[in-house]
Amino acid sequence: MKAVALRHWRAQARQPGYWYILIALPVLDAIMFASIGVAYGEDDRPVAVLVTGIMLFHLVWQLTLNAALGFLEEIWSSNLLNLMTTPLREHEFLAGLTLISLVRTAVGIILVGLTGAVLYSVSPTSAGLVLIPGAMILLLFGWAVSLGVIALVLRYGESAEVFSWGFIFLLIPLSGVFYPTEALPGVLQPVSQIVPITQVFDAIRIGLDGGGIAWGQLSIALAGTLVTALLAVMLLKKMLHSFRTKGLVTNFS
Amino acid sequence: MGAYLSARGLRKQFKDTVAVGGVDVAVGQGERVALVGPNGAGKTTTLLMLLGAIEPDEGVVEINGRNLAHDRVGAMAGVGFAAGYLPLPRYLSVRETLEFFASLHGLSDPQAAVNGALAQWGIERLADQKTQTLSSGQGTLVGLAKAILHEPELVVLDEPTASLDPEVAYRVRQGLLRLNEDLGTAILVTSHDMREVELLGQRLVFLARGEVLHEGPPADVVAATGDADLEALFLRVAGIGQGAGS
Repeated sequence: MKAVALRHWRAQARQPGYWYILIALPVLDAIMFASIGVAYGEDDRPVAVLVTGIMLFHLVWQLTLNAALGFLEEIWSSNLLNLMTTPLREHEFLAGLTLISLVRTAVGIILVGLTGAVLYSVSPTSAGLVLIPGAMILLLFGWAVSLGVIALVLRYGESAEVFSWGFIFLLIPLSGVFYPTEALPGVLQPVSQIVPITQVFDAIRIGLDGGGIAWGQLSIALAGTLVTALLAVMLLKKMLHSFRTKGLVTNFS
Repeated sequence: MGAYLSARGLRKQFKDTVAVGGVDVAVGQGERVALVGPNGAGKTTTLLMLLGAIEPDEGVVEINGRNLAHDRVGAMAGVGFAAGYLPLPRYLSVRETLEFFASLHGLSDPQAAVNGALAQWGIERLADQKTQTLSSGQGTLVGLAKAILHEPELVVLDEPTASLDPEVAYRVRQGLLRLNEDLGTAILVTSHDMREVELLGQRLVFLARGEVLHEGPPADVVAATGDADLEALFLRVAGIGQGAGS
């Protein structure tokens, strides 16, 4: 696990694109959303909602993106066959990717929080203690999505690369990161309720309004996220089997 | 000579095409075996099944007595692999790359293993160079260093000298012979260069259309088929040229 994480840290540290994703995107997103809050809000609450929202968005997105990009790096390097002919186990490889993704995700959300705090005087912890279980559920969800994306890349190759950054963008508007899902068109509101992380963002908004920890919403979110994680693991196992039986490694060598 | 690697009845079909149709392959301790055949004969598919990268439809692979399907990690612990066409991870130095693979093999002293492997192929000067800046020949030598880091019992090589200039190809062949003679490392190699096959292969397994067509020491196979030499046999099987046995 440590060897995989170190290998990816070294490779990513030497590519400017990874630094851009790590540093520039979180800061720019924080500035953009906080400024929208300042421009259209009558008090500090919209800024707090938007900064907290973008921070949590990066929590999910960065984890998914970095894990998927780490796996894609092996494909771009044509390194899968090298790895498959060592005693490395699949779960050790995934653990290494997850570790480096967590580190990068931590850097990203710290930058969003600092930007909000320093430039807009918004505390990144305005929502209170609900942030802790909320962040845990979002991390689990992001990890599950990253497994799903890796599974799709295994099966469909680089053409599935778009899911590495695009899948979360599909879920973000539906899950109400920046607004209550009642703001969605009526036809989309039922859809938003089956996205597991919708309940997390509801709970965060309750926290921002001083309502404490909404355990009910968090429990529903956790249950949905666990189901998502289970489905992702099953999909990955199926795609790994398909990868070996169809001889797809030759497409990446 | 006991078989270090033994595969029986390997079969693989992709859609309607039978890539490998019931192949047996064995490599003894310290033995050098060449897997040869024209394009489409099933060499690479066979090799990848022997390495566990492709799952056979039928058949069993055992390495050092361990069933590859049930104990891949244990089976692969004593195997090294390199292919002439396979790049190395980008953005790492040669030393970092080799240390990474040494760690994957669980070596307690990766640095010593890396130094030894670099010395084995005479490429110590490349240690700090980034992998993406290596020439094709240098990349092949680093790939070979990767394959022997953990002092494997068996090295599997797919086209190790493909697109190399004669000088580097010579160094590769001599290095492999040294490895075999000095350390008793078994070698399973595929190649389209029949002179290389004669030099490296104590025994050859000749595949055609996914089946074993001939097997034995190169000279015996040539004598049995009546072809002028291995190249003539190869060309005849490939449907080109007129071997004596045709």
